[in-house]
Amino acid sequence: MKNCPCVHTRRDFLRTTLLGGALTLTVPTFLADTFSSLHAAAALDSATQVATGKDSPILVVLQLAGGNDGLNTLVPYANDFYFQARPQIGLKGDAVIPLTDQIGLHGGLTGFKSLYDEGHLAIVQGVGYPNPNRSHFRSTEIWETASASDRNEKYGWLGRYFDNACAGADPTVGVNIGSETPQAFWSPVPMGITLKNPGNYRFVSGERPGMGGGDLTEAYYKELNETDSGFGHGADDAAGASIGTVSSGNNAMAPGVGGASGNNSPLSFIERTALDAQVSSDKILAISKAGQNLATYPNSGLANDLKLVSRLISGGLTTRVYFVSQGGYDTHTNQVNAQNKNLKDLGDAMVAFCSDLKAQGNFDRVTVMTFSEFGRRVGENASGGTDHGTASPQFVFGGRVKGGLTGTYPSLDPAQLDNGDLIHTVDFRSVYAGLLENWLKTPSEQILQGKFDPFPLLA
Amino acid sequence: MLEPLPADQFTREHAAHLLNRAGFGAPPAEVDRYFALGLSAAVATLVQYERVPDTYPDPAWSVLDPQEAARIEAIRFLPDDQKRAAQEEIRKAYRKEDLELIVWWLERMRTTPRPLQEKMTLFWHSLFATSVVKVKNPLLMWQQNQTFRSLATGNWPDLLVAMGTDPAMLVWLDGRVNKKDHPNENFAREVMELFTLGEGNYTEQDIKQSARAFAGWHANPVTAEFNPGRPSEHDMGIKTYLGQTGPFSGEDILRILGNAPRSAQYVCERLWRYFGSEEPNPQLTGAMAARFQNAGLNFKPLLTALFLSRDFYAPEVVRQQVKGPIQWLVGSCRVLERPLPPPLLSYQMLRLLGQVPFDPPSVKGWDTGVSWISTNTLLDRYNFSALLVEGQFAGLGLGGGPQTFTPKPKDNPGQGPTPVQDPAMMQTQTPAVPPRPFLNLQGIAIDRLFTPQELADNDSLLDALQKRLIEGPLSETRRNSLRAYLQNEQPGPDRIKGAIRLLMSTPDYQLT
Repeated sequence: MKNCPCVHTRRDFLRTTLLGGALTLTVPTFLADTFSSLHAAAALDSATQVATGKDSPILVVLQLAGGNDGLNTLVPYANDFYFQARPQIGLKGDAVIPLTDQIGLHGGLTGFKSLYDEGHLAIVQGVGYPNPNRSHFRSTEIWETASASDRNEKYGWLGRYFDNACAGADPTVGVNIGSETPQAFWSPVPMGITLKNPGNYRFVSGERPGMGGGDLTEAYYKELNETDSGFGHGADDAAGASIGTVSSGNNAMAPGVGGASGNNSPLSFIERTALDAQVSSDKILAISKAGQNLATYPNSGLANDLKLVSRLISGGLTTRVYFVSQGGYDTHTNQVNAQNKNLKDLGDAMVAFCSDLKAQGNFDRVTVMTFSEFGRRVGENASGGTDHGTASPQFVFGGRVKGGLTGTYPSLDPAQLDNGDLIHTVDFRSVYAGLLENWLKTPSEQILQGKFDPFPLLA
Repeated sequence: MLEPLPADQFTREHAAHLLNRAGFGAPPAEVDRYFALGLSAAVATLVQYERVPDTYPDPAWSVLDPQEAARIEAIRFLPDDQKRAAQEEIRKAYRKEDLELIVWWLERMRTTPRPLQEKMTLFWHSLFATSVVKVKNPLLMWQQNQTFRSLATGNWPDLLVAMGTDPAMLVWLDGRVNKKDHPNENFAREVMELFTLGEGNYTEQDIKQSARAFAGWHANPVTAEFNPGRPSEHDMGIKTYLGQTGPFSGEDILRILGNAPRSAQYVCERLWRYFGSEEPNPQLTGAMAARFQNAGLNFKPLLTALFLSRDFYAPEVVRQQVKGPIQWLVGSCRVLERPLPPPLLSYQMLRLLGQVPFDPPSVKGWDTGVSWISTNTLLDRYNFSALLVEGQFAGLGLGGGPQTFTPKPKDNPGQGPTPVQDPAMMQTQTPAVPPRPFLNLQGIAIDRLFTPQELADNDSLLDALQKRLIEGPLSETRRNSLRAYLQNEQPGPDRIKGAIRLLMSTPDYQLT
């Protein structure tokens, strides 16, 4: 390697020095943590030495995509209405793991049962929202943006959390395991990264067989992606300054916002993403190597993703929110087999993940929350499946979680259904508020754009 | 609004823009040819594409042998054990055909002498988003694709009727199980919500009444034949739909819908988003809708007016569109004058970048614009650039070991029955296995891309690179970085390949 242009651009410089200069009493501690690990080149050393980063709470959001059938997940196995509505697919006997004399877990969820018995699993019954929407994409949007069902909101609730509570933080404050950024992460000032595989999450230089080590592409890639184009931005000073300030509303950029000039251009958006990718990629690679898994995981897509999350936590990545997703819950036909497999994968992956965190000593720092865009209709359909419905349970795991059944199971009495659907008893935004206020320790009203009673979930 | 750009203001950059948007980009020589034609002839060449013969062959399996069809249809009468084996064999055949179909279309986009026809075909696929994951039989998907192609710039109500009776659509949105006595409203809802009107422009009553009119249409999922059904299967009663009342048939309903002013406005908005900008421009799309109505709801006059207009060449439009993955892959191969990567690799690249043809994430289609870009997809684009340029490439989690092809299952296609498959099948990768076999693809030929004069010195080369890959301005800082790379890297063809890869690994290259 010769003539390595390890330049720090003005923007990068401002980003660091402004933060550095701002490290006063008013700066939250996690901001100071991320500052000390900002320099990607020194990622391994600095990141693992971030003392306070190890103490900060972490939220893992686990999406069950497709609309998980809550009734066959948390089964009202002693309820006649349940079996009347579901003569074919209703679960009984060995197919249910009893929790109380009324309620039991799906038989595939042995993993959940062990965590429940330890007191590390809280089950919130009957979660939904008023005027439920039964479209996958619309209802997912509602859950990810935490908006009322009659209002279209572009930005995600986690994006607003990053924006409100983590401004100026390193991009790895939010990590989505996947390839596309979930709407939950969208925010006026984009933050958070998306990755699938740390081995590929980097610029791979063009070394060729038979060539010496003379490849300079990586060094120049950094330079090309560190600099502003000068087209899409105001003066360098303005761009740098707004990154350093806590509220940077005029820096707004998010999916869907276009325009030829200024900070809203697509070029500007891609430049920011490129910078985030670059700042985070060396760090992710180093940390994923430094991190260790101390448990054996089953072989499933979700287990692999959670294994990566655990490795990044163990490596000391200063992330506040991880987002992972498991698909396959849209069980219109032959639900029993499909859901068996999904829930077995889910339960087994969660047990491995929790054992891993316990062995690492990180279990008390992590809370996991599941969500699904809706539950399914109470009555089964003619194809051995269920169609789109409404309320379903949410599962919350962690060392600091107050375990047990909580909330109220919605009535299955046909007279108390809304056109064949369950009526929710807990608003999902209360669950979000509980985690924001009591776990992430941040006021929830601005993030959720409304006042919701924080649902008590933590011990 | 929609005023023509004066002919003498048509620049070479405008010609490149026209080919980028109305097609999949073009190498410099082709841009030069279109520029030399002048604005109106360039647009006419693109729009009046029937003048150019189309010789692209159909897939080998596109004509189904009647005996084979009878054999497949008889599978369900076999005893259980034989049935399972036979069904598995069919699934395998469909998977193979699906991959062939994807590549058949990508290759068609790359080589077509009728770029606008293919670009419009992709537009219709994005609007009437249908996925092979539920439809299963690639023959139905191919047939729908051919319908998009033949009606690509035709008449709007005709296209709606064709979609209402399209076998893939009848499977996808459950039209084939919509019965007079057991209505299924899936198609009736989506055709208004997503294809023609948008939410808030119809009532639940319109859905129910039109679902009645659509009842009785069938599609054969093996042979891809449409069957209009027996008269007794149709509800010939009086319906009230979008304010009109009569004993409407399904076709009547679709023609009422196509002729509704809101649907003309809606399709113009979608066209502007596709060809112009993600930024809504109600004034312009209003003018487009008026032009469209005057032209009898035919697309050719509308597209001609759009591609001739000042609005289309405005600074807030040119080079402000994020390339979708298909545009990125096909366009890159076109400007690099190289073939597509091998089928499985092309498929994998598009899957990782988020846009596999014939497999949109839902009936809503793909999210576009900056939604294409995440830290992950951006790094993937940068690394795949190396693969396209170098031909052989180490270090990526692609190409190593035997691979199988399975369309990625989805959780939310239409609202109807959906097979539930293991979502992890395509996603699972063993993280960080260090040494991977080198891929050995056909790379690019430097001497075909650049003249000796262009290769003579770094500044000429920079100009040539920018002209081929960016076709617009590049900031002085980025030019300086590239110049420094060219100065400092060891001389040889790898230096030039490195520079191409680097230029493709910039935010600027992701735009068109």
